[in-house]
Amino acid sequence: MKKLYSNKLVILSLVLPGILVFIFAILAPICLSVYYGCMDYSGMGKATFNGIDNYKMLLRDAAFGRALLNSLLLAVGFVFIQHPIALIVAAVLDKLQGKAEGFFRCVYFIPNVISVAVIAYLWKFIYNPDFGLINNILKSLGYQEKINWFSPNIAIWSVLIVLIWHGFGWGMLIYYTGIKNIDPVLYEASAIDGANQATTFLKITLPLMKPVIQINVTMAIIAALKQMETVYLLTNGGPGNSTQFAANYLYQQAFKAFRYGYGNAIGIVFIIICLVVTVGLNTIFVEKKEA
Amino acid sequence: MKTEKKQSKIGRAILWIVLIIVAVIQIFPLVWLIDFSLASSNEMFTSGLLIIPKKIQWGNYIKAFIDGHFLLYLKNSILINSLAVLLVVVISIMAAFACRRMEWKLSGFVKTLLLVGMMIPIHATLLPNYKIYNTIGLTDTIWALLIPYVAFSLPQALFLMTGFIAALPVELEEAAVVDGCGIYRIVFLIITPLLKPSISTVAIMTFLNNWNEFMMASTYLSSPKWKTLPFSVLEFTGQYSSNYAVQFAVMALTAAPAVIVYILLNKHITKGVAMGAVKG
Repeated sequence: MKKLYSNKLVILSLVLPGILVFIFAILAPICLSVYYGCMDYSGMGKATFNGIDNYKMLLRDAAFGRALLNSLLLAVGFVFIQHPIALIVAAVLDKLQGKAEGFFRCVYFIPNVISVAVIAYLWKFIYNPDFGLINNILKSLGYQEKINWFSPNIAIWSVLIVLIWHGFGWGMLIYYTGIKNIDPVLYEASAIDGANQATTFLKITLPLMKPVIQINVTMAIIAALKQMETVYLLTNGGPGNSTQFAANYLYQQAFKAFRYGYGNAIGIVFIIICLVVTVGLNTIFVEKKEA
Repeated sequence: MKTEKKQSKIGRAILWIVLIIVAVIQIFPLVWLIDFSLASSNEMFTSGLLIIPKKIQWGNYIKAFIDGHFLLYLKNSILINSLAVLLVVVISIMAAFACRRMEWKLSGFVKTLLLVGMMIPIHATLLPNYKIYNTIGLTDTIWALLIPYVAFSLPQALFLMTGFIAALPVELEEAAVVDGCGIYRIVFLIITPLLKPSISTVAIMTFLNNWNEFMMASTYLSSPKWKTLPFSVLEFTGQYSSNYAVQFAVMALTAAPAVIVYILLNKHITKGVAMGAVKG
């Protein structure tokens, strides 16, 4: 058995496809990005080496700072608006039984299976000043003014609402699964002790859900950092750079502003930020678990 | 005793109200979408929330179906996603088995390396990959989508598969070895059938990750040959920029396949996402 299980050739043949895919689709592009990140290059014609000029420029680039700030805002929105509601809804849903439980769970998750392309254009219509749903709701409440939801000052909030709405079902489902895994005996015990539902939620559900909350929060923060597609279609970072996100910005710089070299430099910094945040969050939560 | 009962009744009512409000917020935009897709563009400028169309405009859907290249793009989406799922499942089972069960020095290193892919933001690879595919002539081919789709679903699949394989009893394999089974037969004929629940989890996660993807597709493709379903919507907004009703129809039509499949397989998908997300 041992001989069979340490046959180098067989091992190589089993891991080779995975390694090849990794090298070709992830490692090679990153190396190429490092290369072009040191170039003054429009995407066509000649590339000239300019060392770390792109990175120096990036340090002073207000739009990139704005993109990171927007990611932070989105992360705060996820963690402090979407997740508390999702957690409470999940706990309530757990108390229902039978058909209603399945029905609500299904309804909450449906937006998640719809393409971002549809979601983004649908919300463009919802925000439309002439026939949009939101202005019509306001009109029926007696508010006559047409609001442009994508004006510079409020566009970012309009974008955040869409993202928080779209991701709700996902967060809810993960909390729901976590709550389902809690041993019902604990609930029975607390009912016998005369605890009401709010106390049970605070003293039993929440503490036991801690690991699930940590995973879910980590995923949400990383998703906020990586956001691109919805913004790309909804506002493309505008007006100005008020709704800019890092991934969208590097794409714009490379393909619209023809600063391909600069775009790659942004990409490298973006990758490093994602790695640092992921590793950072994991260490924070692991340390907490041990403490 | 009586007040307690009354209290719990009020409590239950509040719970129901919360559930219903959230459900309305999540689903009403989609109801609105379907409603407007059946009206004519002139009827849209009303002040009511929903329109009752004078005549239901099925024509919107016919236009959306034909001019949105619905069938071609749907076929492409199904083909590309099925191939991606197949490749992800096979590659992840092989790699997970080698890293978890077999004895070699670099197993931990290779596994970590492949898992790092989970942390890399997909969109940072758009620029260099475009250059690579352009240079070696992969743009506008099925590979331009298949390779990145597989690459970015693989880390999570590998992570899940190693967990599942670790939980299988070793005795089964020992017996197989005694019977003279080779490694490949152990992996594909003994291990793989035991992994059915995890395969379906990986398949569901891979499908959900890639089905609606369009950023890579719109960067690496220019001809309609391999374009996927989201393009029906993306291309339409230019073509029918003033005919809003048809745009509503194409959105509803594009969303339909995934929503229908989700409603039919609701239980399995919920379970799959739950397993995948909580463990991943």
